[in-house]
Amino acid sequence: MDKLTEVLHSKFGYTSFREGQKEVIEQVLARQDVVAILPTGMGKSLLYQLPAYFMDGTVIVISPLLSLMQDQVEQLKMMGEKRVIAINSFLSYDQKEIVLRNLAVYKFIFTSPEMLQNERFNKALSAIPIAYIVADEAHCISQWGFDFRPDYLRISKSLKNVKDVPVLALTATATKNVVEDIKSTLLMKSPFEYIHSLDRTSIAYEAREVENQQEKIAWIFGRITSTRGPGILYTQSRKKTEFYAEELRNRGIRVAFYHAKMDQDDRILIQQQFQQGQLDWICATNAFGMGIHKGDIRQVIHDHIPTSIASYMQEVGRAARDGKQSIASIIYSSSDVEQAFYVAMQDFPGEPDIRLTYQHQLEGMELQLPETTARILNYWKEELTEQETIHLFQNIKQKKWVEIQSLYTMLQNEVCVREQLLHYFDEQLLERPVHCCSKCGLHIQDIFQMDKEQKIEKIELNWKNRLNSLLL
Amino acid sequence: MYFQKLLLVIIHKFNGERSSMAPYYLLKGKKSGQTIQDVTYFDLHPFFSLYPKLSKEEYNVEISTLLSNNLIEEKEAFIFITEKGLGQIKSMRETLYNGWDLRGNEHIFWRRLDLTVQTLSHFQANEKRFIPNQKDNAIHHFVRGFLLERNFQSSTFGSQFKNQLMLLLENPKLLEIHRTLFVYRLSGYKESGLTWEQLAQEQNSTILDMKFQFIECLHILLSDITAEKFPDLYALLKDIYVLTPLTDSATKTSQLFEKGYTIDEIAQMRFLKLNTIEDHVIEIVSANQSFPIYSFITSEQLQRVLDISKQLKTKKLKIIRENASDLSYFQIRLALTKGEEVHG
Repeated sequence: MDKLTEVLHSKFGYTSFREGQKEVIEQVLARQDVVAILPTGMGKSLLYQLPAYFMDGTVIVISPLLSLMQDQVEQLKMMGEKRVIAINSFLSYDQKEIVLRNLAVYKFIFTSPEMLQNERFNKALSAIPIAYIVADEAHCISQWGFDFRPDYLRISKSLKNVKDVPVLALTATATKNVVEDIKSTLLMKSPFEYIHSLDRTSIAYEAREVENQQEKIAWIFGRITSTRGPGILYTQSRKKTEFYAEELRNRGIRVAFYHAKMDQDDRILIQQQFQQGQLDWICATNAFGMGIHKGDIRQVIHDHIPTSIASYMQEVGRAARDGKQSIASIIYSSSDVEQAFYVAMQDFPGEPDIRLTYQHQLEGMELQLPETTARILNYWKEELTEQETIHLFQNIKQKKWVEIQSLYTMLQNEVCVREQLLHYFDEQLLERPVHCCSKCGLHIQDIFQMDKEQKIEKIELNWKNRLNSLLL
Repeated sequence: MYFQKLLLVIIHKFNGERSSMAPYYLLKGKKSGQTIQDVTYFDLHPFFSLYPKLSKEEYNVEISTLLSNNLIEEKEAFIFITEKGLGQIKSMRETLYNGWDLRGNEHIFWRRLDLTVQTLSHFQANEKRFIPNQKDNAIHHFVRGFLLERNFQSSTFGSQFKNQLMLLLENPKLLEIHRTLFVYRLSGYKESGLTWEQLAQEQNSTILDMKFQFIECLHILLSDITAEKFPDLYALLKDIYVLTPLTDSATKTSQLFEKGYTIDEIAQMRFLKLNTIEDHVIEIVSANQSFPIYSFITSEQLQRVLDISKQLKTKKLKIIRENASDLSYFQIRLALTKGEEVHG
């Protein structure tokens, strides 16, 4: 066994690398800049976690999402790595002080692009040896995209302070243009590029158009009560998650709902119940997914058209992490197109918002815009004229409309779903799996056993028994 | 139902002298002069800051229900309990909260306990890797220290700890629902806790009812934990009880008083309004009986306010002021706050 595989086994508990992992890791170890594109669930984190054990210095991971950061910190801690910290707004002033004074003790430091702008933090960073820098979710760098995070652009300034440190950019989705943006923004020198196929061969795609809401609901209840999970039913509103969960529970399914309005404690409990097999189905908004490390999710159902093809791929990608046959079903009606566009535009600044931002010297936040939207507007205010900004947002809006339309077309036409999804990300389908998609022909009964879920057993709550089962 | 009854109890205590929002601010633990002084005037210490996360929407739903069921009524912006409402709480068991002293810190105890049980349960199953329910670093740090001091990997510690929990839950002041909530919120190896929604479903009740009974359960149990009876659980109580129950801002004001500055000087130094410093004084007096107040009010004036209040059976500032026009509102509030302590 070579050294890399040895550590893979001892630290991470895997016996072999997945496709592409070793190549990327070797480049990181050779202090090369790297751009790696891998679909969700294909072992992206390992790419920056493993090389750390062969290099001196600290690994800085820049991540735009707080929840993602927390999750990765937790994963590392689970593997027994104690020298890990997330430096973000969750830390109190005192905690931050202590951490900053002892920065060198950490092997992994997770932080946000915003926090990197902090001068003290920056200074502290420049005083410690750094092994390499990781830009996670690197597609947020692209100014032209929907997920643009202005503070990501400013990373390059911070990077200049820590000279000659290699950069590893990671993302699950990036078109060619976005890759170019990533390379130039992160000042990469002829980086090694690794692009993994986005195809998840063990996920079969099923697309079904229905006439109306009743038909949709009937189909979903039929599917869930006659087949096995574990599965996730994605829907668009909190109310709907509760509605589905209640109805399915009445039909004997072990199910719970999940959305961002729930207490954090309760969200964690639902995740754990699902993870441990106490629940078979989760009815969730797109808030559900991060922090779910469950290999055996067999079904993902969408009752709507998602607002982007990338996020659809990401949600579907939660299935079949163990590589076993799974299915992603999407049940939609023509009115869902409008709805998807409406949802996508909810946090989007309109022309009046943009004008007000320019004319009144208002911070975007005072306009009651979500924080990320406000930041984007404030960024463009410095860069472009009012008219240019209005034009830019019209453009992004137009692109969004086209994207949703093309997703609808992909589902509706007669062409293979898998082929079209890959094509959208500039990829060719090389080998068609046996269970491909509903247009190529699917036999559901070949994919999973058509039997019923384990039913809810009504158990009497008994505090003594419960305590006895918690502790010996 | 439970939460509505709790609201009735509180509204009853307010004695028709406050608006329908007063119970809301009390439960949220609003740190304003008005709310803090009301705690003393109306003897509401147990209920202070029971649930800071209470939203106005949730609260208003409950108040509307009480109104439409004629359990309370609103007259000229004041809220009263009706005869029917009184009937509802007459047979109710006395609530056993301790909000003033705990200020939500019971949840810190709970988080430590939750992580301790989750850890012990997993280690007993020989599973040393698990995702903790509790995410807060301070909690992790505390529990790690707690467990390491106790040789927690030995076979005996887990059972010893369980026996303490058993004994704790035998407390006769607890109802069955309290015990159920307590153990089913805990998680262990292959046994995740239940969410509030799941518990409410199970009990045919509401989420708010579950949460408030859970808080009551913790308050009952915490007052029973002593070092002799429950040595390990007692250690989880470290720094839970509030020593100086003052807001940060009031603490600063208090320190400046100790150095001999006057209200006006303090207001100027701190760039705060006079009113704010007066609110601080009320807060300080509520918390600390021995704080000297006679530079603000004479003992004759104080007694006069108390007499008027007693005679007219009211704590409404406006009415008292009409009968003592030489005194300021601040002096009247001060007298009422101090008076409650002298008598209470």
